Amino acid sequence: MEIPYNVQVREDTGLYNSKLGIWLFLASEVMLFGGLFSAYILLRTGAPVWPPIGEHGSIMHILKETIPHATFNTVVLIASSVTMVMAWVSLKMKDLRKFRIYLGTTLLCALVFLIVKYFEYSHKIHEGFVPSHDTYMALYFTLTGLHVLHIIGGMIVLGYFFGPGIKMWDNEPERFTNRIEIVGLYWHFVDLVWIFLFPILYLLN
Amino acid sequence: MSDSHHEESYWRKYIFSTDHKTIGIQYGITALLFLFFGFSLMMVMRWQLAFPDQAVPVIGGLIQWLAELNGFASIGNLPSDLYNVFGAMHGTIMIFLGVVPLVVGAFGNYIVPLQIGAPDMAFPKLNMTSYWVYFIGGVIMLVSFFLPGGAANSGWTSYPPLSVIATTGQTFWLLGMVFLITSSLLGSINIIVTIIQLRAPGLTWMRLPFFVWAQFVTSFLLVLAFPPLEAAGFLQLMDRVFDTSFFLPSGLVVGGEALDVSGGGSPLLWQHLFWFLAHPEVYVLILPGMGVIAEIIANNTRKPIWGYKSLVYSVVFLGFMSFIVWAHHMFMTGMGQGMSIFFQTTTMIISVPSVIILSCFMLSLWGGSIRFNTPMLFALGWIPMFGIGGLTGLPLGLSTLDIHLHDTYYVIGHFHYVVAPGTIFAIFAGIYYWFPKMTGKMLDETLGKIHFFFSFIFMNGIFWPMLIQGMAGVSRRLADGGESYAHAQGTLHLNEFMSYSAWLLAIAQIPFIINLIRTLLRKKAAEPDPNPWRATTIEWTDTTSPPMGHGNFEKVPTVYRGPYEYSVPGDSTDFTPQTSKLIKDR
Amino acid sequence: MSVKDMTHHIANYRKIFVFLLIGTALTVAASYMEFNVQNSIAGAVFVGLTIAAIKGYLVAANFMHLNSEKKIIHWILLLTVFFLSLLLFIPLLWDLNLMSHY
Repeated sequence: MEIPYNVQVREDTGLYNSKLGIWLFLASEVMLFGGLFSAYILLRTGAPVWPPIGEHGSIMHILKETIPHATFNTVVLIASSVTMVMAWVSLKMKDLRKFRIYLGTTLLCALVFLIVKYFEYSHKIHEGFVPSHDTYMALYFTLTGLHVLHIIGGMIVLGYFFGPGIKMWDNEPERFTNRIEIVGLYWHFVDLVWIFLFPILYLLN
Repeated sequence: MSDSHHEESYWRKYIFSTDHKTIGIQYGITALLFLFFGFSLMMVMRWQLAFPDQAVPVIGGLIQWLAELNGFASIGNLPSDLYNVFGAMHGTIMIFLGVVPLVVGAFGNYIVPLQIGAPDMAFPKLNMTSYWVYFIGGVIMLVSFFLPGGAANSGWTSYPPLSVIATTGQTFWLLGMVFLITSSLLGSINIIVTIIQLRAPGLTWMRLPFFVWAQFVTSFLLVLAFPPLEAAGFLQLMDRVFDTSFFLPSGLVVGGEALDVSGGGSPLLWQHLFWFLAHPEVYVLILPGMGVIAEIIANNTRKPIWGYKSLVYSVVFLGFMSFIVWAHHMFMTGMGQGMSIFFQTTTMIISVPSVIILSCFMLSLWGGSIRFNTPMLFALGWIPMFGIGGLTGLPLGLSTLDIHLHDTYYVIGHFHYVVAPGTIFAIFAGIYYWFPKMTGKMLDETLGKIHFFFSFIFMNGIFWPMLIQGMAGVSRRLADGGESYAHAQGTLHLNEFMSYSAWLLAIAQIPFIINLIRTLLRKKAAEPDPNPWRATTIEWTDTTSPPMGHGNFEKVPTVYRGPYEYSVPGDSTDFTPQTSKLIKDR
Repeated sequence: MSVKDMTHHIANYRKIFVFLLIGTALTVAASYMEFNVQNSIAGAVFVGLTIAAIKGYLVAANFMHLNSEKKIIHWILLLTVFFLSLLLFIPLLWDLNLMSHY
């Protein structure tokens, strides 16, 4: 049994199924991060000083040091978004070799992002700025942590299409291209979340 | 019914099936079991309310075993700590593991693709995943009963700071909720895509059965309102596991000692995120029920549903407005008058489409030649019961009256009228109505009528006195039913009456259970009537009963008309299927 | 889509990449500048979030193809953004008191 409009677009909506599905999923993701941003706004406006001063003083001096790292990470993530969309374009142009290069670069960028993040986390924790230190640290770890989980999830899916999943190209190239477009949409969304996390967590304090 | 192409293995066919019909039935069975379990918790609680601190009859030993396992003293009675656990879990199980999976998971899954002429849901594998994620969430909730301190005990609303400092059960509750929310999200995305993308040719939006519209709006509520609660769940998990202070204000003192946290958090934040979901959730519970009722009323009055378009516009408006009323649950949080006026106004506005829907159903009855079969009786019972539920909600939506009524049994009575004789009657109606579609066998009418009349009486026996108690000021969540409160004395005698009603309601379900089992065991007719109710919608007219294996339809149906063309003048039968091109001449 | 369309796309993506990099540089630079009015950092927050919003728009419109997406998706997102803004800002209005002048 075949589900209709799995690959072909339906005439009246102009969409294939998973395109609509991923956008609905992203809408729910917007609301998920929205809930966390709402927490950020409410706690920040309610705090007398921001970031709050806790047991180990204020995080401000460490934050100032990490701005270059975070900026670097921002550039890396934006670059990964560009290579992601280029991977899709390559498939549209039936160039599997280029697709592999671009997708590989995307994965590499994601890995770099995670490594930088790891050093950032361990530095903060080392200095005693753990999530329970104050509400800023709690928000910082929750927001970036959830974002990192999204990166890891995306990497697993991208890794699948880079590895075993690529076989679909031989039999159903159109369906495979759609799949890359879908996972690309997700990846850009993760990038987009970071574009907002970067100023609110690192710059505007 | 096996796939016409190849025989699937037992596991693929019944356990890890990707067929929406099998998944729908899986959801249905699991959710009915949870519904029964949640109801049992309540029956034990009702014993404690009617006869405080006396040993529970019959299952006293079991209660004592559970209480001692959790670390509470018990002589077979329900200790107040365990009462709190049962209360919190009754709410959680009934809503998230019982009713939502029944109306969306079971009915939505089984009926929607059939009603729109689709071979399956848009994403069959995702559909299977959402059932199993739901299943895991349910298991986590059940396991938490055996933890030290018992399952979650901070109410189904889990308000912090209480919930943050509560026993381990609360952590399990949060984990379980993350699974249940994820499952609902996946399921509702699936339903939306299915409805938008897989409608049969000719099935335009204004030709959709009202049930499909209700599922469509419901799914949107789930997609957009559930994630903030998931976010809140993460935050509370952080508070509990990593000692953060999202919901803990500075200077919190617990048991005479200052709590060792950084503080700076806001308990109100939880309430915002929680009610941002939980108000739309109320409509998640009731809208699919309305959809079921619409189908049954149109079918059994043998005339088109009155005001189809106003029904559709109302349900869409209702869904939209349900996002802007959440703070009427929070009138007592010290919000300024500006906000309370705003939310009071939106609350009054949202009652308008509900009234339109109810009126349409009532007007549909007028002049119809009504068939009083079991599904129709439940539908007819639903109308006044939901009416009472809705009307008793209006005083709660007014911020001044809410000062008196807030957190009393009046609130309990109100929302139970909406959900118990409201949604659950709709569920029963739906089961009686679609059972022949799912199995090819009709449920027994006599047993069904016994089931209906006694359920109807005892439901009211439970919930009406709650309204009286609530107006007298008796608070909810009191483990002794108000015995130790002077102002509650005048209404205490109602407790026994309510409890007897609850137990009798359980007995009234026995004919239903017998009916289900007996009918399932009965041999099927060689060629079951695919359309016993003489209905017009696609699921009855273009498939067999039960529908053939994966794929549903022999050939893709084409739709030529609206969903409720009953008694069309000039037609030879009193129902004109959506797929019939021409009116058959007499 | 033809190969020619695609080369057009690629040129566009390059351009957007450069804009995003400029945006990142600007937002970092702005964070070192003083937009502060009377000891409040409202000015800086406004500048920072405006730049972030522009960058977000560039990503959504170009990489996610929202500028040429179907109507139904625009409607879903519009609804989402509307509810999102309620969720973000209504909790801030808790102390609003319309009757204070009575």
